[in-house]
Amino acid sequence: MASNKVDAKVVLLGKSYAGKTCLVERYLKDRFLGETVPYQNTIGAAYGAKTVNIDGHSIVIGIWDTAGSERYEAMSRIYYRGAKAAILCFDLTDKSSFDRIRFWIGELHQHEENCKIYLCATKCDLVEENPERRAVQDSVAKALAKDCMANIYETSSKTGKNIDELFEKIAEDYVKEKVAADELEQEAIRIAEIGRKAHCPCS
Amino acid sequence: MTANVATAGKKNKFHIEENDLLCKNGCGFYGNPAWQNFCSKCYREVYQPARQAQLQHDALQEAKKLEPADKPGDSKPSFSKFEVKKTQQANKRANTVKSIFRKTPTKDSASSSSPSAPKESRRSSLESQKVGGEFAEFLKTLRKPPALEVSKVVRAFVERIQHNVDIPVDELSEMVQDFYQNLGDKMATQTVFKGLSQEVQDKILDYAERYVLTRLYRCLFCPMTTADEEKDLAVQNRIRGLHWITAQQLDLVINDTDPVIRQELDTAITDIIEMDSKRATQDKLACIVNCSKRIFHILKESKGAPASADEFLPALIFVVLKANPPLLQSNIQYITRFANPSRLMSGEAGYYFTNLCCAVAFIENINAESLSLSVAEYDRYMSGEATPPGSSGEHICEGLRLMQHNLNSLTDLKQRQERVMAEALQLQQDMKDFSQNFNKEIADVLQRTPLTIRPRKVKVDLDAEVSDSCEANLPSPLQPLPCGGVATGTAVSVAMNADTTAPNVVDPSSAPLRDPEGSSPLPPTLPSPLKPQPFTAESSPVITVSDASPTHIDVDIMGEQGMAAERGEEKMDTVEQRSAEKEGHGENQESVMQDAPSGL
Repeated sequence: MASNKVDAKVVLLGKSYAGKTCLVERYLKDRFLGETVPYQNTIGAAYGAKTVNIDGHSIVIGIWDTAGSERYEAMSRIYYRGAKAAILCFDLTDKSSFDRIRFWIGELHQHEENCKIYLCATKCDLVEENPERRAVQDSVAKALAKDCMANIYETSSKTGKNIDELFEKIAEDYVKEKVAADELEQEAIRIAEIGRKAHCPCS
Repeated sequence: MTANVATAGKKNKFHIEENDLLCKNGCGFYGNPAWQNFCSKCYREVYQPARQAQLQHDALQEAKKLEPADKPGDSKPSFSKFEVKKTQQANKRANTVKSIFRKTPTKDSASSSSPSAPKESRRSSLESQKVGGEFAEFLKTLRKPPALEVSKVVRAFVERIQHNVDIPVDELSEMVQDFYQNLGDKMATQTVFKGLSQEVQDKILDYAERYVLTRLYRCLFCPMTTADEEKDLAVQNRIRGLHWITAQQLDLVINDTDPVIRQELDTAITDIIEMDSKRATQDKLACIVNCSKRIFHILKESKGAPASADEFLPALIFVVLKANPPLLQSNIQYITRFANPSRLMSGEAGYYFTNLCCAVAFIENINAESLSLSVAEYDRYMSGEATPPGSSGEHICEGLRLMQHNLNSLTDLKQRQERVMAEALQLQQDMKDFSQNFNKEIADVLQRTPLTIRPRKVKVDLDAEVSDSCEANLPSPLQPLPCGGVATGTAVSVAMNADTTAPNVVDPSSAPLRDPEGSSPLPPTLPSPLKPQPFTAESSPVITVSDASPTHIDVDIMGEQGMAAERGEEKMDTVEQRSAEKEGHGENQESVMQDAPSGL
């Protein structure tokens, strides 16, 4: 049962074929399926958990893959409920996938304020191979990231570029926040205790 | 225990008791609960005629105690609702009332509720007993103080819920969640629990959750204060109305006509239906996880590649549509309310559960657009006027499909049988050919090497030979040799070197050398006493058969050569001729050789 315990829930959002599943697959199993299975954005399961060690804290991050098809977008709120972080994926070679990102940012801001946003540009190996295929300009993406105060990573699931960095950053941010929250809580308890003493001398 | 119940938040009960301290009749004396709050005198006076009214009054008191917030008027509708629903809870309530009728004459209203608690535990279901047993077993493995503490806390909580079954479900959910939280905190902070590993603590939490939920399943699952049941029915009808949806319409690539896939699908459907029969949230979630895993398996089989969330969700929707699981909404709500969110819901089970929620949400909101259909088409399908193309296989009744399946199997079997038949015929032909070839080859071999039968060899007694026949046969012809001194030596060497093969070496054609009798008449027949003599001792060297056989030819030749040397130049040609003959008949010699040992 202990293996079921997950500290941080990370949800992957983005249009289908944006490379969400490959991202998870590369991070969890360190392999790329595209070579053997054409376009297979896939692991055997859509859920994965990994233990990460950051500054002596051992945390488990649970990664939730979601269905990218627009017909299920209405339900995506159910997925990112309670998520600590959301990775918004877009395909560098597909402008429409980038346009969807704004929608997700709006949704998350509206419904899940505590969820940190990370932008993830995928398939950067394709762009490096052939710069003409780039459909999303670097400056545009960075501007959007700045707008929503999110980190942006250009990744490639094929080469593994920046993938570990992305997840490490997520874990790091989570630990930082948790430590801060713990301190805050301690503080709150102390204040509460002082208050109690002041109000109720009899007990 | 009475005190517990009283402190469970019913202040107005104390209030009532204070009021009732005086005799109800208003005579000025103090009343006594044992006399229905009358004084002893009034009790006797009023008791007989007022008994009926008294009981009713007490029943009302009891109802008040159970739901202090409710006014008597409010409790009426809920009462009637119970009866309509015919749930177990209603029975329990009835029992409680009955027990009051039985007990009121002797006990006050406050304590009358406590006997009902043990009564319930006696009525606990098989599942509860099983889980309770497991929990107790597990607690036995712990040290005593923490085990006692856990069992105390859990028991108290179960009782508390049992006395609060009618509060709104959200509060119940909160109470249950608080309980998980408190138990967790207790184990983290209290000294009693010090020294328990995280694993054990998790196990305790797990068992506590399982036990509490199993015990309280009837109160907590689909409580009548909610509209869960209506929602269940709505979803069920909705799914019935959507029976025509095919995998293709959900962009799903599964080949649901393939019998193997079909079987897997059925198993997944069974898994999701089974969820309703489980009580603990863990078990319910396990059913969902099983179902999901199987769906991934199906997708993998259908596509030949592992599946992702993009395919999983539609597949799950499809399975839910085909399964139409009973009390789906109730189950989802139950898990949402009472599962421990920090433990189960964040992991894998939580993921699949979320997917199930999504699937249900999708089904509830399904429309023409979400199926990529025109509104007109969608309406026609919904009203049953038309069925979507490609769904014919879907609508064939089970019997027809089975028949088709069987026909396919039969065709397959027929083909296989034909193949087997053809192979059998081929085999027969092969066997015939083989036997013919075999016969032919044998005939060839026989023709090439005709069988010649040699005369039988006769055993000779060695000793006898040395003493008698040697003297009788051999020495005498040797004697005339020019070098007589050597003759005896030769005779000895012949006896030693010659072996059983000696007779074989002798070609049957060389008539003069042959002497079937092996007896003395030889010498006279020979032109020279020297010539055949050593070789006529055909039968003599039986003893040397076994050891000498491999080299017999050499030995033989040597012997002959030696002899030849002894015999002189004039005999050389004979010797050569003989060895040539020997070689020519090597084959026959060998076969004879093989016979020789058995002849012994």
